[in-house]
Amino acid sequence: MSPRTSLSPFPLVPVWDVWVRLFHWALVLCIGGAALTGFLADARWAAVHLACGLGAAALVIARIIWGLYGTAHARFADFLPRPAALVAHLRGTDGRHRGHNPLGALMVLAMFAAILALAFSGLAILGGWLRLGPLAADLGTEAGRAARAAHEAVALVVLAMIALHVGGVVVESRRESENLTRAMLTGLKQVRPGDASPAEATPKGRRALVVLAGLAATIALAVAALSARPAPNLPVAEIDPLVAAECGACHMAYHPSLLPARSWKQLMAGLDDHFGENAWVDAGDAAEIEAWLTAHSAETVDTAPARIFARTDPEAPATLTEAPAWKRLHGDLPDALFDRAPIFSRANCAACHADAATGRFSPFAISIPKETAE
Amino acid sequence: MKRLIALFVLSAAPALAQDTSPAQLIATYEAEAGRAADPAAGAAFFMADHTGGKPETPSCTSCHTRDPRSPGQARTGKVIEPLAPSVNPVRLTETKEVEKWLGRNCDSVLGRDCTAAEKADIVAWLASL
Ligand code: HEC
Ligand code: HEC
Ligand code: HEC
Repeated sequence: MSPRTSLSPFPLVPVWDVWVRLFHWALVLCIGGAALTGFLADARWAAVHLACGLGAAALVIARIIWGLYGTAHARFADFLPRPAALVAHLRGTDGRHRGHNPLGALMVLAMFAAILALAFSGLAILGGWLRLGPLAADLGTEAGRAARAAHEAVALVVLAMIALHVGGVVVESRRESENLTRAMLTGLKQVRPGDASPAEATPKGRRALVVLAGLAATIALAVAALSARPAPNLPVAEIDPLVAAECGACHMAYHPSLLPARSWKQLMAGLDDHFGENAWVDAGDAAEIEAWLTAHSAETVDTAPARIFARTDPEAPATLTEAPAWKRLHGDLPDALFDRAPIFSRANCAACHADAATGRFSPFAISIPKETAE
Repeated sequence: MKRLIALFVLSAAPALAQDTSPAQLIATYEAEAGRAADPAAGAAFFMADHTGGKPETPSCTSCHTRDPRSPGQARTGKVIEPLAPSVNPVRLTETKEVEKWLGRNCDSVLGRDCTAAEKADIVAWLASL
């Protein structure tokens, strides 16, 4: 035992079992990772962000189950704040709580609710904005945008709650002269006279495990079944062979869903002076290409790229790389990057976006290639 | 005139892949130009810097490099397979392709169509490599 605790006149008893402590610190890691990648990193960190967020949600669900079957202080029964207890705690007339005090318990519950709300709004972004995952068939970019706003708002609330929580721990540690952070590491707290007497409870580990496994299996099945449904209004999967050959000769064949029909018409009308090159095709082929491009243009799909690039630069209505959204998304990348091998051009989307040919531009498919010799 | 020749050849043989050969192309262009092909003139034309075209592409070598037996690169970074039929046998075997690319590339480089004589020279040089 450390010198400080051996000096303390009060005996130590186990309060936080190992699962509660593991849960707490794993949640700190997950929320920390999700906050860093969400607030500070670019889209290339989306996979890490998603993993952290799903990890946090899974931890909260497991913790809720442990709150039903776990050790005495892990149980909701021990800390669900009843109004009378809250009032007493605020007045300072209650005894010392070895587990969560009523205010801390409120914070715990609010945090659980907020994290689950973040997970759900995150899945709604995945489904609506990226058109991926279990909600892809139900939501579109409109809902995806709303989900994004909600997700960001809740994330800010969680940041504020974390600040309150840390502040509360510091204040309580001072007031009680007991290091609460350390207690969450060792699991031990002092027994003092006048402590509120804890309810007895025998942990039901096996029961908790069975419930957790059952719930996990149900969620996994539901997600698989929901994700398997075909999502509507996605970009056409097969590029017309004529378009692939003619419009893929000098650069990647840009997916028709990246630009609105009027942009394609304008581009097709000016092929003999096409971005500093003559790219004419004979009239018959040109008509066929234009018909196919306009039949699968941005208006016909509901994806994030189709929505954001539909606002084109009026001076260059067929130039993706001049669209305001394109410039905003790529503004942080250095100019020189686009000139070097193997990228060579801003318009070489496929160099950095592995799924460029599909028109999806998922954040999970972005990687900037290493420089190569020309 | 270019289109007329293309039409003539196209009506003779449908525009399937491999509807012609370098030798046939040279013969057709020679007939139109009224003189024999000159591979050395073709090489000089290919290597030269021209004016009148688009500023980004002063020369055929801007995209195809000085050695048509090796791959070139479009301004977009995309690799262009070699032009010389000796290393890339599908080259110069489809009338529609040849007419399309010479039509585009001559305009990009020179700001005009290539003449039948120039085409005869270029094809003869590429076929000789
Ligand atoms: C002869 C070569 C050539 C052909 C054939 C060609 N393009 Fe292009 N295209 C270019 C070049 C060069 C650029 C400029 C790219 C750059 O800046 O790197 C370009 C740019 C574009 C852009 C804008 C990219 C940006 O900067 O946002 C679009 C869209 C496009 N092309 C569509 C088409 C379509 C559709 C076809 C088929 C009808 C086609 N291209 C055929 C050479 C070609
Ligand atoms: C040099 C590499 C590179 C090239 C070339 C490039 N991008 Fe990107 N793109 C990125 C990076 C990196 C991001 C992430 C930016 C961020 O989140 O701040 C990105 C983000 C995007 C996004 C948003 C993805 C998301 O979910 O947040 C879209 C859409 C996109 N690019 C489209 C294009 C298109 C269209 C082209 C070609 C005309 C293109 N990009 C060319 C590197 C590139
Ligand atoms: C802006 C880049 C560029 C320039 C400059 C250029 N070419 Fe090309 N050329 C291409 C591309 C791209 C192709 C098609 C590549 C493919 O089919 O894989 C091509 C194809 C060709 C073909 C092939 C036809 C076939 O049978 O497949 C010939 C011949 C040709 N070019 C000749 C020339 C000549 C002669 C010049 C100079 C007057 C020239 N090119 C300049 C880009 C260029």
